[in-house]
Amino acid sequence: MKILLVDDSGTMRAIQKRCLFKLGVAEDDVVEADNGQTGLAEFEKDTFDIVMTDWNMPVMDGLTMLKEIRSRNADIPIIMITTESERARVVAAIEAGVSDYLVKPYTADALNAKLEKWVPTSV
Amino acid sequence: MKLNQLANQPELRQMDVSFINHFIESATNVFDTMLGIQITRKSLSLKDSPAPTHEVSAIIGLSGRVSGSVVVSFCTNVALKGAGEMLLTEYDDVNAEVVDAVGELTNMIAGGAKAAMDNMELSLGLPNVVCGKDHKIFFPGNVKPVSVGFDTPWGEMAIDVGFNEVLEGSLESVAAQETVGV
Repeated sequence: MKILLVDDSGTMRAIQKRCLFKLGVAEDDVVEADNGQTGLAEFEKDTFDIVMTDWNMPVMDGLTMLKEIRSRNADIPIIMITTESERARVVAAIEAGVSDYLVKPYTADALNAKLEKWVPTSV
Repeated sequence: MKLNQLANQPELRQMDVSFINHFIESATNVFDTMLGIQITRKSLSLKDSPAPTHEVSAIIGLSGRVSGSVVVSFCTNVALKGAGEMLLTEYDDVNAEVVDAVGELTNMIAGGAKAAMDNMELSLGLPNVVCGKDHKIFFPGNVKPVSVGFDTPWGEMAIDVGFNEVLEGSLESVAAQETVGV
């Protein structure tokens, strides 16, 4: 179970990694990027099972990266974890092919429930 | 001072009073959800720029039908404890990890308020963090930020919000759509 984790905040990546490790994901199986451009570069270098991404990031935002990844891979689950919660933004993400959506701030339970849905507990 | 009393000050626009409510609600929600603590609103004032601050301040610009900035200013202990709670680490000094955590907390506060002002079609900038005792943050000359102080179990923090109108008629439409509830 290889996961690409894209967020410009190291704090948020740390929180999400903590949750992934609790679900049994190995440390070596989480690849981090701090903006959409480096995220896309990582995506093209390796094979991933899930992409988790923020929206607002420098250089390339998460929505642009989402569209780029979808143009290369129609099936990979992409979870957007963001402060963007207005209806128009969520609709834009759905239209771009997002698989799931979690709004910040979130409780540990909410993050856990969201990731459990996509990460098999046996990984 | 209560918001409805502040609203009687002639230089304060209805928009400012309406907007600050959303930031108060969002900050309360972010601290409760991410850090598991309750914060209490205390002082409320209209500030002359530059705004006096606590030691660690995060600044985010918002632009859309109005444009402006929000500054969330943390006393050092709130910054250290907040980062520690999120990263499960104890911090003694404001380092890069603390700065990142403070920026992200501010991002979530601004994001929550932005969502509540959906009619303003706002976009968020990325947070910048300024540290140091007695630093000052200047708003544009024609903007007097509304400042709200908070008590937290770890010390004090404050939120300063200042907006300029961009589109003709935005103020009236905001005043019509927003409710002053605090």
